[in-house]
Amino acid sequence: MAKSVIPIGPFHPLQEEPEFFTLTVDGEMVVDIDVAIGYNHRGIEKLSEMKTFDQSTFLIERICGICSTSHPFAYTRAVEDIIPVEVPERAKYIRTIIAEGERIHSHLLWLALAGHFLGYNTVYMWVWKLREEILDVMEILSGNRNNYAMFKPGGVRRDIKAEDIPVVAKKIDSIIPTVNRLKKAILDDPVLHARLKGIGILTKEEALDYCALGPTSRASGVAKDVRKDAPYGAYDQVEWDMIVTENGDVWDKAVIRILETYESIKIVKHCLTNLPDGEIDLNIKDIPPGEGIGAHEAPRGETFHYVRSDGTNRPARHKVRAPTFMNLPTCKATVPGYTVSDATIILAAIDPCYCCTERVAVVDTKGKQMYNAQDLIRLSQEKTQSLKRKMGIK
Amino acid sequence: MTRKELLSDIQQRFKEDIIDFFDKSPKRVYIEIKPESIIPVGSYVFKNLKARLNIASGVDTPTHIEILYHFSIEYLNVLISLRVKLDKKKPSIDSLANVFKGVNWIEREMYEILGIEFKGHPELRRLLLSDEWPEGVYPLRRDYKEWDKKAIRDRGV
Amino acid sequence: MKLPKVRELLEATKALLVGPYTSKFPKKPHVPHPNFRGQPIYNPDKCVGCLACVSVCPVEALDYEDITDPKNPRRVMIHYTDTCIFCGTCEAACIADNEGIKLSNEWNLAFLDRKQSQESIEKELQLCEICGEPVACKDHLKWIAERVGELSYSNPTLYFSRLKELGVIDENILAASRDYNRSDRMKILCARCRRETTLTTK
Repeated sequence: MAKSVIPIGPFHPLQEEPEFFTLTVDGEMVVDIDVAIGYNHRGIEKLSEMKTFDQSTFLIERICGICSTSHPFAYTRAVEDIIPVEVPERAKYIRTIIAEGERIHSHLLWLALAGHFLGYNTVYMWVWKLREEILDVMEILSGNRNNYAMFKPGGVRRDIKAEDIPVVAKKIDSIIPTVNRLKKAILDDPVLHARLKGIGILTKEEALDYCALGPTSRASGVAKDVRKDAPYGAYDQVEWDMIVTENGDVWDKAVIRILETYESIKIVKHCLTNLPDGEIDLNIKDIPPGEGIGAHEAPRGETFHYVRSDGTNRPARHKVRAPTFMNLPTCKATVPGYTVSDATIILAAIDPCYCCTERVAVVDTKGKQMYNAQDLIRLSQEKTQSLKRKMGIK
Repeated sequence: MTRKELLSDIQQRFKEDIIDFFDKSPKRVYIEIKPESIIPVGSYVFKNLKARLNIASGVDTPTHIEILYHFSIEYLNVLISLRVKLDKKKPSIDSLANVFKGVNWIEREMYEILGIEFKGHPELRRLLLSDEWPEGVYPLRRDYKEWDKKAIRDRGV
Repeated sequence: MKLPKVRELLEATKALLVGPYTSKFPKKPHVPHPNFRGQPIYNPDKCVGCLACVSVCPVEALDYEDITDPKNPRRVMIHYTDTCIFCGTCEAACIADNEGIKLSNEWNLAFLDRKQSQESIEKELQLCEICGEPVACKDHLKWIAERVGELSYSNPTLYFSRLKELGVIDENILAASRDYNRSDRMKILCARCRRETTLTTK
């Protein structure tokens, strides 16, 4: 039986970092997959040992462009765990607002790009427009659309001004009808049902075995969320629900992200109206020797930081674990058994960041280059079209 | 099972294996164990206690090479860190990758950046470092020196 | 089945009526929100040249250069706009009431030549009257003298800086004090020379 090998990468159109996927295919079916990462290894753990605790926050913020708050959140919690201290209430609320605002825009971004890869460009454009409002909110709150530079060990750097709160609350309210419409448009769509249901299933056992995180594991029925299990910030003072579904396919992962957007909107609104008064910063001067662990539920799953201090003003060791590190190996369980055109969306379903849209080369067994990135997207979009035709939708 | 029962259960069950037991705070427990007993303890914590591996972190300390396996037990809100101290000259430990798959990548990462050998790992090859990175140079060891003479190190480029 | 299409059609008609969502950027200038974090700008009147911002900058976008020319000693504070990440740590660390360097709303920072991507201000530098090494910026010494108040009379470097600024002492008075023994003590000195003149007898 002739098997072909399809290399995708090292610059993958869907992945946060340039990654190299080797798909072994039998005809249309993928039978095996291997991942190679490290093409964009920046040595941040080593670099962090050369910066002070305060300066590291900005370095850590730049690990990921989309979830740029989750890493500083986990890092500052790890540093506070060394001492140990509790940050002031107001700082907790501000941190929660920023983190949840980021979750909204990150989930919307995923939804938009998932639509794009399925050939559903209407969703892509709608969501892009909607996400703009959230980015404006973040600009008002933190001064920047991304890389908010709000966190520091012991508190936050910027206060939320009282006169900004009504503006922000109004903007947040204004996106709810649009999200509603979007939710209907996606959940009703028969083509999306046909395309996403039963695709890329990750069973509960596999999710536990791979230690999968965030929406990837919650779609498989694993009810684990750091915000609920080990509450931090203001998460224990707000009423919100953890969204868990059972099937583990791409559809469930999409549904979870849409529904989580509502929960995030709820949390942001609650925090904005109940923002307590008081200090925003503890002005930590010295970090004693010791070890600290910080975790934060990022849009993609739990971000985990381990910081060891030896009493100087620089970390002695800083271990960063991004959620994709645990989620990406699950592709070994999800991709085999499905077609090449499905592989695009299954690999996208774990929501790696989409920073590097570069090139993809699909090569046949003799090594001739046949397809590029556009072709792969075209393959995926053509499948949607043919499904549409089969179902009699124009 | 409460937190207290859980901890005394671990202490009873692995009396021989535990070197040090440090109850840092309500949410954090550090257990130092012998390197050779990582498989029984690790698989007990993962399988029987239904813990989730957060990550393992390797540290090069002045005396040892240390690995911390962070397991979180969600229903009790406890994070157990299993600490093993390995010999600095030739660090090696049994691999947990055959027990559960989540540990596969992090062992590969520690293998290349700290030079720890994981015995019995199914595919112990490089994960992050580039192919031209020389053998036996481990970037997170204390004695690491820059080997690439051609690397550019000036402002803003 | 047909419902999704109707919804899309409605949205499309709405969009046609309302017009494009995007701004007409190159034709109309973009005005960011007042909270926007733009390029940090030095305020030469407020800045005292203390280098607090330089030492806290996480990306080394701030730098300085001391020109110890005895005729016109000055400290050049440099800001590299290409490296800057607009985090605002410099503003938070500024000792001059956070006004020596301030984030502005300026966002249009594109340039063609990387060498142009820097801005600088000059501050008058106080040189040690014995060895000629820089002590601190003149404004910085005045700032410290004002802060410590009467206590500044325990340190000649501080009170001379202050009194000179007030015009209380001039060269004639200083020249009169030259004749006494260990007159070096009555000078503006760097830390090393201060220690030597105080602790050793030459």
